[in-house]
Amino acid sequence: MTLLILSQLLALAGLLAGVYGITIRYAETKTRALPADKSPIKGNISHGIAYAFTTGMMPWAKESTRIHAIAYLRGIGFHVGIFTALGALLISPFWGMLPSLLSSMLIWVLTLGAFLGAAGGILRIVEHNLRGLSLPDDHFAVWLMTIWMAAAALALWNAGVLIPFYILSAITLAYIPLGKIRHCLYFFFSRAFFGKFFGRRAVFPHPEVVK
Amino acid sequence: MTETIQIALKTLEAQLNQPLETALEACARCGLCAEACHYYRAEPKVEHIPAYRAEQLRSVYRHEHDMLSRLFPVWTGAKQLDEPMLANLTEIAFSQCTLCRRCTVNCPLGVDTPLMMRAIRAMATASGTAPEILVMLADAAIEKGKDPSFYKEMFLEQIKEMEEQLRDITGDPTATIPVEKQGAKILYVPLAGAHTILPPAVVFNAAKEDWTLSIFEASNYGVFLADVNRAKQVAKRIVDEANRLGVKEIVIAECGHAYASYRWDVPNWFAGEFNFKVRSLIEVLAEYIQDGKIKVDPTAIPEAVTYHDSCNLARNGGLIEEPRYVLKNVVSDFREMTPNKAEALCCGGGGGLVALAEYADRRIAAGKPKADQIQKTGARVVVAACENCRLQIGDINEHYNLNVKITAITDLVVRAMRLPKPLPEQEAEVLFDDEKVTVA
Repeated sequence: MTLLILSQLLALAGLLAGVYGITIRYAETKTRALPADKSPIKGNISHGIAYAFTTGMMPWAKESTRIHAIAYLRGIGFHVGIFTALGALLISPFWGMLPSLLSSMLIWVLTLGAFLGAAGGILRIVEHNLRGLSLPDDHFAVWLMTIWMAAAALALWNAGVLIPFYILSAITLAYIPLGKIRHCLYFFFSRAFFGKFFGRRAVFPHPEVVK
Repeated sequence: MTETIQIALKTLEAQLNQPLETALEACARCGLCAEACHYYRAEPKVEHIPAYRAEQLRSVYRHEHDMLSRLFPVWTGAKQLDEPMLANLTEIAFSQCTLCRRCTVNCPLGVDTPLMMRAIRAMATASGTAPEILVMLADAAIEKGKDPSFYKEMFLEQIKEMEEQLRDITGDPTATIPVEKQGAKILYVPLAGAHTILPPAVVFNAAKEDWTLSIFEASNYGVFLADVNRAKQVAKRIVDEANRLGVKEIVIAECGHAYASYRWDVPNWFAGEFNFKVRSLIEVLAEYIQDGKIKVDPTAIPEAVTYHDSCNLARNGGLIEEPRYVLKNVVSDFREMTPNKAEALCCGGGGGLVALAEYADRRIAAGKPKADQIQKTGARVVVAACENCRLQIGDINEHYNLNVKITAITDLVVRAMRLPKPLPEQEAEVLFDDEKVTVA
């Protein structure tokens, strides 16, 4: 067995551990009570949920993201990079078959993601509020993701970096359910509850008519 | 571990449902929620960032529920709850958060920080560390519900006197304030004080509404304590009264938390026994104007007027356009604050804060962003459809020398009805030192 195959198996194990951990988390949360709301609906719950995942995520939808548009877009770019790295990992055995344009695009997205991640990591150290809010877990998570994206970009560019990329993938994916990165699961719960709550009460989306 | 801590942790466990666990897990600590909070705007420091406040509860939750946190508590900031921590959590939840949900609306993940603050309030209440005054007020309301005969006679006498005033104001000798009227369509639930009875009575009579006045007040301090058991007992007085009288609808006075709880929570607490439509008085006013049941003069109020969105009515209640519809029909110079509606800033008086004298300085300081907002509109009258908001805006008016008059929507509607005589408080009203407003 070559080192490359061994590292690929390690990455696969990391992926399975991550999926297993997140599944356990999901199942645990789902076993908790979900209070039924019997109050008469004023708005529309499904519209609220749709809003929460679409229009409500736009940079202009919230005062916070309007004020901190650059920080928000940095975060969006960072997360696009993360999902690109995951996608790149899943198709890594077929990288050789990718058109060079697509391969270059992936490298650029991953490099940008890593750059934005590094910016976020530095901000967590130098910016007063972020430093005050951050836990060791936050610092570790942002740098782990940043290095992973950088490794993915490098591996796409130079196959010599594939083994470190697979090893990093194993660590990253296995860590997802353990630390703060698991917010990737709770993001969906949170936005859905947001949409249910505000949609029911006709706050988001808000019909500008008097009923 | 002391008994107090055991009770607090047990209460946290009991509340741990899907929405609460999600709120505890979802935060990425990006800090974008900072400026959403009026406490932070007034005094920008890390401790005033909603995510930081929530983190204090998360550290307890992680210690109890997270494997990595049990192995490496420093890594995730996990901590075993102890008495000083509980005291700190209690202070945060009762004095640094008005449960306005502005942070939730501004969070990219939609983290419900007020839900966590409510969880802390419940922990504090159950373990006996919640502010005593809120507990006393809730318990007094429960006692009142057990035996209303104790004060009912006096209440009915006061209503009789008010009825005389009503007839005088409206010039209608048949105008009444019915109490305990069997089979009435509407049960109107006021707040403590004639100012929430007389103006609505004027409107109900003008609209020829089939209504009756509740002998109880709408406010519910159990809600502020996040104590569902107490809140339910307080609400039960009105639910029982509505059932006894056979009304179809409960109309709540201009009160934020009372509206939010009766409209959105009480149907859940009394599932199956609660078949009433619940509306705010504002919705009823909008309907009366829309249907022409009351006549209002849109030129009656010439002063520049602005409207403060109560968080419980607007962001948490969905009553956004109704108050504006009413105001635009009675006011000729209406000015919006910025931001407004679902993005409106909290005045700082919500969550029971106005009842907590020990935190008054903090509350007034946190009201500074609202004071600035009011000042920027240049309005001389601030309308708020919530008693706690009016009290808070009254305090910040005095503290920051805003020189504005604070009023309820119903009072303006009554003024715009151009009745033979004004309401008592509007009589020959001097709004400001430099001007005298003529009341029709």
